[in-house]
Amino acid sequence: MPAAVASHWRNRRRRIFQSVFQTEVSLPTPHSTPSVPFSEQGQPFGGPAVVSHEHNHHGTATTSAAFFSQAATQEHFDPLQGRVRAAHAPTTSSLTLSTILAQSQSQFEEPLFPSLATAADDQIAYDRAWHVVTARIALPASATADDSFGTLAPDSQQSPRAFSSDAEFYQALDSLNHANRVLPRATHTDDIVSWHAQQVRAHFAQHVIPLLSGCVDENEDRLGADIHGDAEKVGDADWEKKRDRYESHMVTVMSSIRTLEAALRLYFYGLGMLMRGFSRATDGNSADRAKTDAEILATRFRRDIHALVGISASDQLMNSVRVVLVRLISHVLGIPPVYDGEATSRPPRPEPPSQDNIKQLAARQRLHELVEQLYNVGLAGERFQILFAEIMDGMMSNFVKGAYAGVWASPGSTAFSATPNTITLTAASSSSSPCIVSLSDWVENHFARLGFEVLSRISPNPPSPVVTLSDVKTYQSLALGRLAALRIGELFDIVLAWPASRGALDDLRATITTSARRMQLTSSFTRALQTKLLHPGCSTLEILQTYIAIIRTFHALDHSKVLLGHVEPTLQLYLCQREDAIRIVVTGLLASPDEVRAMRKVAGTANWTRENGGQRDAIVRAPFITPTIPGRSATAPSTGRRRGSTPEANLKKGPAASTGPYIPSSSNLVELALLLNDPANSRRAAPDDEDLDWNDMNWVPDPVDAGANYKRPKSEDVIGTLISALGSEDVFIKEFTSILAERLLGDPARFEQELRVLDLLKRRFGEAALQSCDVMIKDVQDSSRLDAAIRRTGHQNKLERQVLVTPAGPTARQKGEQNASQKETQYQARILSRLFWPALDREHFLLPPPILEQQKQYEQGYESLKSHRKLTWLNQLGQTRVELELSDRTVTVDCSTVEATVIYAFQDDADSSGSDSLIRRSEDELYNQLQMDEDLIAAALSFWTSKGVLYRVQPGVYAVAETLAAAPEDNPNDSTASAIATEEGSTEGTVAEESSEPRKPAKLTVGAKEQERRAMYWQYIRGMLTNASVSMPLGQMAMMMKMLITDGFPWSNEELQEFLGEKIVAGDLEIVGGKYKLVKK
Amino acid sequence: MSFSIEDSQNSAPGSISVNKLGAGRKGPDAGQNAAKRLQTELMQLMTSPAPGVSAFPSADGNLLSWRATIEGPDDTPYAGLTFKLSFEFPSNYPYAPPTVLFRTPIYHPNVDFSGRICLDILKDKWTAAYNIQTVLLSLQSLLGEPNNASPLNGEAAELWDKDPALFKTKVTDRHRDVEDE
Repeated sequence: MPAAVASHWRNRRRRIFQSVFQTEVSLPTPHSTPSVPFSEQGQPFGGPAVVSHEHNHHGTATTSAAFFSQAATQEHFDPLQGRVRAAHAPTTSSLTLSTILAQSQSQFEEPLFPSLATAADDQIAYDRAWHVVTARIALPASATADDSFGTLAPDSQQSPRAFSSDAEFYQALDSLNHANRVLPRATHTDDIVSWHAQQVRAHFAQHVIPLLSGCVDENEDRLGADIHGDAEKVGDADWEKKRDRYESHMVTVMSSIRTLEAALRLYFYGLGMLMRGFSRATDGNSADRAKTDAEILATRFRRDIHALVGISASDQLMNSVRVVLVRLISHVLGIPPVYDGEATSRPPRPEPPSQDNIKQLAARQRLHELVEQLYNVGLAGERFQILFAEIMDGMMSNFVKGAYAGVWASPGSTAFSATPNTITLTAASSSSSPCIVSLSDWVENHFARLGFEVLSRISPNPPSPVVTLSDVKTYQSLALGRLAALRIGELFDIVLAWPASRGALDDLRATITTSARRMQLTSSFTRALQTKLLHPGCSTLEILQTYIAIIRTFHALDHSKVLLGHVEPTLQLYLCQREDAIRIVVTGLLASPDEVRAMRKVAGTANWTRENGGQRDAIVRAPFITPTIPGRSATAPSTGRRRGSTPEANLKKGPAASTGPYIPSSSNLVELALLLNDPANSRRAAPDDEDLDWNDMNWVPDPVDAGANYKRPKSEDVIGTLISALGSEDVFIKEFTSILAERLLGDPARFEQELRVLDLLKRRFGEAALQSCDVMIKDVQDSSRLDAAIRRTGHQNKLERQVLVTPAGPTARQKGEQNASQKETQYQARILSRLFWPALDREHFLLPPPILEQQKQYEQGYESLKSHRKLTWLNQLGQTRVELELSDRTVTVDCSTVEATVIYAFQDDADSSGSDSLIRRSEDELYNQLQMDEDLIAAALSFWTSKGVLYRVQPGVYAVAETLAAAPEDNPNDSTASAIATEEGSTEGTVAEESSEPRKPAKLTVGAKEQERRAMYWQYIRGMLTNASVSMPLGQMAMMMKMLITDGFPWSNEELQEFLGEKIVAGDLEIVGGKYKLVKK
Repeated sequence: MSFSIEDSQNSAPGSISVNKLGAGRKGPDAGQNAAKRLQTELMQLMTSPAPGVSAFPSADGNLLSWRATIEGPDDTPYAGLTFKLSFEFPSNYPYAPPTVLFRTPIYHPNVDFSGRICLDILKDKWTAAYNIQTVLLSLQSLLGEPNNASPLNGEAAELWDKDPALFKTKVTDRHRDVEDE
């Protein structure tokens, strides 16, 4: 029973198999012949054993379905015809082939009724003919050795026992071919060509494929051994290993090709025999037709074989082909091979090889040969084409990346001078960019050429152009796209390296042609900004400097500023968090020409030292090489910050780069001052009718991604962009005013720089916005005039002996013992109009008596000049020059009035308390004497200690250091006591209001302002709870405050709650039912 | 609560209002100008408050509706008393006076029983130079020096001169603390 089941199952399997593969058509003699069951071909006659068909199908069906179906359709054609005709064919009883043929030929014309006997005869004749042919072209059964194919001479295929001569073979073939005519009654006929194909498939599957895999395996083993061996051998050069690998892959490929060549030679031999037979047998008018038929058959066979080979090629083999191809192509294209291992030294940059490069020519030659060979053995099929396309794609990327990464400056200086104002938006007009020119050239002359050469060799119809001109254009635009992607990735570094990176921008400008790429640029740059710049590790100064570079770079990239507009918001948002941003910008604007010069000098020396240190590269991208373009200074600080973009920079950065970003000592945005003074920048005042300028040859339409209200900006306008990025103009002007106030109150020098900045800012913001600055400057100027006037009147009236000193004149020196010191003290005041100056706090302390005397006189003089005006003195804002005559030295110090007052207190003691006592003061004494804030006293004491005038005797007690010696006790000679010689005080008077709150000492001005603000908020809250509603919840109060306070209410609900909590503790507020309420008093 | 406040940080308020008036736009813009002006006035009130008077926008967030408080001046019958008022500002404020009402019942010659006030500067003598603080201070002084020539409350006007003691009693009787809504 089990056997029956097994056979039943086998039958079913066969049926299924046959239903899929139609096996019956490939059998030479159909089994349905009733009388003589035809044995397998060749076997009854002792010919070479042929593989059974069953096996055939198993072998080939799995490997080449395509080939199979091809063969199947082909078979339906001829044999069917033959079978149909066979029914009407005449009968013969002849047994020999020749008689059969003769008879059939002679009787062909007279169709008789067929009989079964003649049908059997015909069938026998056919089978014999079949045998003759198949025995001749049968493939060797045992082929195991490598060279078994190669040594197979065509003759050896012939079985020694075969009785058929050539003539007999062709005759038999002819009869097979025309079985419908000569053997009309042979019902079971078959196509000899498809039989051969069948044979070939079987043979290929059985013998060739194992051999091929043998080729591959052998090398794989060898490679594996190599790798292991290398692991043991220390210090073996990478290069050797890689080359070995390449060589072994080459061996794999070549041996595979040889194997296939041998096999194909074998297959085509049989085919050739058949073809010859076909074309020979025919005569007359049908000869041509037969010939073309034969050719078609041959082509079909060849194609099938190639498909078979191509599909059955193993992955390892294709991998080897890939390795070999990559190697050869990279040589041809001039790209140094990229190793996946870690490269100890950077490979040379790829560059288009010259025409007479022998290595390249050899590689090209080798590649051609290889491709031809591959094509001949059928390995140049679809898989190869995909492989080739992949390799070429990778090569293009490698070339672009390798050749242009970090190469920003143009190689030739001629292209560099391309007018920066012309916008080249089309690739055609992009000739100014050397990278693009060379890339296009490379694509055209190397890339496309190679593609053409390879493709024309593997394409079956060589005459048709495989690489058209439009293809070349496509390649070029692809390459430009790669370049654009590369540059976009590098953009951040490009920005930092500006303006040395102008060449890169040219590339980018020419390649960023689609809005998708523009989008890619902005989004990728924003990402880079966030990861590289906008984090707490970067100082605000750095960010601002980078911002300036960004503005200029993007302006060069895209005059329309649309790109910049897309990038800016992130930066602006971040800068809003940096409180010192505005201050840095303003101080940068106000940087004096001296500072600018100093910075130039610093930069210059930096260049010089770098150059001396063998870092020649640095000087190339260092600023200030061309002092005529001061705007280029923006790169100065960023030189050291570049993050390894070019190999040159990497190599040459060295120790200098390790010291971190190179920041000028002034740590100011001096660039802004330079920009502000740049005459080109102030040329903006040009007429506004740019749109009507018909002669503008550089006109371009607005970019596609511009917004609706887009207005074309005229220049890069760094300052304007920067200021607008920092928030509203108001904030900027406010900050400018306060910094200007500081400066005006500070050094007594003239304010040329400030005036100029003010003028320039006025042009930008308008007169009205900067009115208070005008008033401030006028105040200061008036003050000096008033000073002179008051001094004159005072001179006439009271101070007969006072020496008039020019404002910039030297300080009068005087001995400390002389009590008339104040007589020669030069006293100046600045009279400020309170309304126009930023809020200045008043600090109370007692001035030294002589100064106080002067102050009074001044006040009198002022009131006599301007009646109905009163002065409020802000003593702490003054500046003093103090000359101290100590026993061994004279110290001249410019200091604040606070510090002068403190040191003056030490003098008093010396005058009053004998000669031999040390002058010492405790902080408490000073506090009582001067009525000054303790913190100010402590600060002043430490100031003088740092100057070496005072030293600390014990905590809180200080003494005068009469000599520079460490131990002041050693100095008994007190005759030349310490003295404050001269005070040149300029103390400002304003009508500043007094704040009633006690000040927090630690944060002097900020605390006072904060206190003021809190007091105001308290007023709001009181007013709210008095009038608006008796009780309110926290949220509503916070909302009302936010709504009603014009300057904005910066507190969060929590802060407000804390504040209200303080008030509750103080007894001003209470909470009733979750609502705040004023305590009734 | 949907009242929006224009961003007032752009420029000086005066210049903007001039621009907008010059452009001939009225209506909502005028209301915004009033709001801006009132905001500024509030800031002034808060930074330099006058003794005895205070004012604040109403709790519903409408800037055109304010509540104010006046403390009765010493040496007057109103000493020690607190009076609540309401201010309703027109949208063209300060070019038209606000409507001011006593919300606390008050016995006063120039105030009627529904709280309406007879004061020239709130009527024909109004100029844009007045503001909330000046109005409140005027009202405060009106408490001490009523204008008996044009009384709204004739009885009070008579009693003011004839019988200060009775006047004082009437004032105290009439006064009642109003709670806010």
